[in-house]
Amino acid sequence: MMRTAAIYAERKLGHKTVAVLPVHYPREIFTAMDVHTVELWGPPGPPRGPDAGRIQAYACAVVRNALAFLASGGADAADAILFPHTCDSIQGLATLAPDFGGWGKPALRYLHPKGGDGPAARTFVRAELVHLADRLAELTGRPLALPRLAEAIRLHARIDRLRGEILSRRAFLGMDDRELYRLLRRGEFLAPGDHLAELAAAARGLGGERAQRGVPLMVTGYVPEPATILDSLASAGAFVAADDYAAVGRRVPLSPPADGGDPLDTLAAKAFTMPPCPTRGGDQDVRMEYLETLYRRSESAGLIVHIQKFCEPELFDVPAIRRRFARIGAPLLYLEGEMEASLSGQVVTRLEAFVEMVDAGRKAP
Amino acid sequence: MIARRVRYEITARALGPALVAMERWRSRLRRRGRGAGRAEGPFGPPLESTRKLKELTALHYLAGRFADGAVPVAWVTSGFPVEMLRPLGFHTVYPENHGAICSVKRMVPELSDAAEREGYSRDLCGYARADLGSVATGKTPVGRLPRPDLLCCCTNICQTVLYWYRALAAHFRVPLVVIDTPFVYGEAQPHLLAYVADQLRELTEIAERVAGRKVDRAALVETMRLAREGTRLWDECLRAGRARPSPWTGFDSFFHLAPIVAMRGTRECNAYYRMLRDELNDRVARGVGGIADERVRLLWDNLPIWFNLRDLSTVLARNGFNIVCATYTNAWAEAGSMIDPADPEGSSARAYLHVLLNRDLPHKISIMKRLCREHGATGAIFHSDRSCKPYSIGQIDLMGRLASETGVKGLLLEADHADPRAWSEAQAYNRLHAFMELFA
Repeated sequence: MMRTAAIYAERKLGHKTVAVLPVHYPREIFTAMDVHTVELWGPPGPPRGPDAGRIQAYACAVVRNALAFLASGGADAADAILFPHTCDSIQGLATLAPDFGGWGKPALRYLHPKGGDGPAARTFVRAELVHLADRLAELTGRPLALPRLAEAIRLHARIDRLRGEILSRRAFLGMDDRELYRLLRRGEFLAPGDHLAELAAAARGLGGERAQRGVPLMVTGYVPEPATILDSLASAGAFVAADDYAAVGRRVPLSPPADGGDPLDTLAAKAFTMPPCPTRGGDQDVRMEYLETLYRRSESAGLIVHIQKFCEPELFDVPAIRRRFARIGAPLLYLEGEMEASLSGQVVTRLEAFVEMVDAGRKAP
Repeated sequence: MIARRVRYEITARALGPALVAMERWRSRLRRRGRGAGRAEGPFGPPLESTRKLKELTALHYLAGRFADGAVPVAWVTSGFPVEMLRPLGFHTVYPENHGAICSVKRMVPELSDAAEREGYSRDLCGYARADLGSVATGKTPVGRLPRPDLLCCCTNICQTVLYWYRALAAHFRVPLVVIDTPFVYGEAQPHLLAYVADQLRELTEIAERVAGRKVDRAALVETMRLAREGTRLWDECLRAGRARPSPWTGFDSFFHLAPIVAMRGTRECNAYYRMLRDELNDRVARGVGGIADERVRLLWDNLPIWFNLRDLSTVLARNGFNIVCATYTNAWAEAGSMIDPADPEGSSARAYLHVLLNRDLPHKISIMKRLCREHGATGAIFHSDRSCKPYSIGQIDLMGRLASETGVKGLLLEADHADPRAWSEAQAYNRLHAFMELFA
């Protein structure tokens, strides 16, 4: 089932749909209010209309493609749009499209805090959740019911737990990367219950024996696009053993939500249990420590830093990543893309050479 | 510690002023030989205040060489509520201001190369690359930058500063304070105001710990008063640009912006702007213009192209074009008026949330229209700044709207505020000349 089909299926149930720009947002509130969310990561490939030209070519392809997509009617099936407070470019898009053309329906924003954890940030997250719920109530005509929110938090906790389990025991799952990422990224548009069912079915395939025999690699970056990168890795004899994509691994909390209490407090607390992500700020050393731990725990043999060109949050961390992984002797490949439809032959060759080099290093005495 | 403090104080209060006085005397001799106050080329007579500006800047950086270990040092972003630090005696360093100086001195390619060798992309902000390159190499046109004890970043100008200061914090191993100012769509919601005010209280606790002393509330109130007054004085300087001819150029105003950015909340800053305002008003009264023959008045949008100001201003002035207003310089004349000394945290939260770059495009277009109307600008140059995405996204629409709603003609000029490697001179001047022909 693809995005449009998912939207129409939800519409039949009387649910509104909100298109969501990357990256972090409290999906539980939408679920609790029967609002279906469909994420919009670009989409990849060439822009779907001339409006990409309204943003300079030195801004990232995610926002340029998103503006073109919205303005060409690509998201017209949605009833509203949500712009999380991810970066300067998405923030700019959040006023450009609704205020100057490209999106004529309600526009919501979710302003998550930047910087570290602290009383001010926690209070703000809670207030922002309430504000978002009020805006959704305007859309649906129904206020947020806290028992429904508690239920949604439990549902998403189950989803998060399965996603975490699949990712952390990836080598024991008999599924290639293309299939695995298709499964995980279907969560971007499937109804949570449907996604949970698919995850549960996949998790049953997690065996006690290692299913992946290729070269284990870790990836970090924004979004696994173009998806052909996964095919190229597979044909070169590698697989993704650890994931730190903003779109995937960085959205799996490091600890489950607390039981009981005020569900808004619980959801606010979740924002501070997520893996480090530069789009949310936080200590760079903490992120490097996290990446190294992820790398070691997954027994990865190399790291691919897969960056979307002009993506400042990711780019500023690259030198620290290089230093940290050089220190532990981990091979590193830096790739830069622009949400192309497929990888260029040149990049494929670099990937293949990297995998060969890593593999040779592993086999060396 | 005591010896360092003595050296810092001597530099700031005695040696620095003495050196500045000597330089003033030497430059007076040089100017006497050339004919002081005489117009040069297509420009009007130079502003006398510029000399004082150079002295202020030189003194600040000279004292900074000896600041670490003597007084607490904070590296601060331009939109940071620095008033909260002043009563604690911090010596403040503005890496963005330093980046601009590096660009004027044409050092950015060298510094950026050093940053790029560390792994920083050339697609990142030119100021950040210059700063990180300077940190890596120790090279700077100002002699030496003091090591920070505290890093202070406010996201109201961009989120780039957040990523940049995270990297600095990892390098220097010192505390980083982030004042997160969520983007304002329309007017700030109460919970946004409360959030920023709460962070300012948290900042005070950390800054007190680093400085090793408590904030004197009376001193804070006085700093806030000075900051508000400084903003008003800067606004009065900018308002002088409404006169015909404008007594200065927008390019002048870019340089004279430095004290309100880097010395906001100090007596020196306000004394300087009183002097500048009086000089500008005197020129208005005497009909002295920033350029010799002002025919067309323009608005500038975005940061200056620091490394090319002289050439660009000369080309414009030769053709009778003057930049009489700029969204960039105006940004420091607006929000500060919201500061209320009686409520430092609450009013700073409002002021620092409502800066130009933290607000939506409808606000930005309204500012542009007002500036064009008040200053009689009939054209606008939109500097499409490769390394400042938050300022640049939306410019293409802004230019179209400004033209269709007010008739102000626009030019999109692609460059970079700091790095000359992103500047295509022939292409840029070709476009600029074509633009100027529209006004024939």
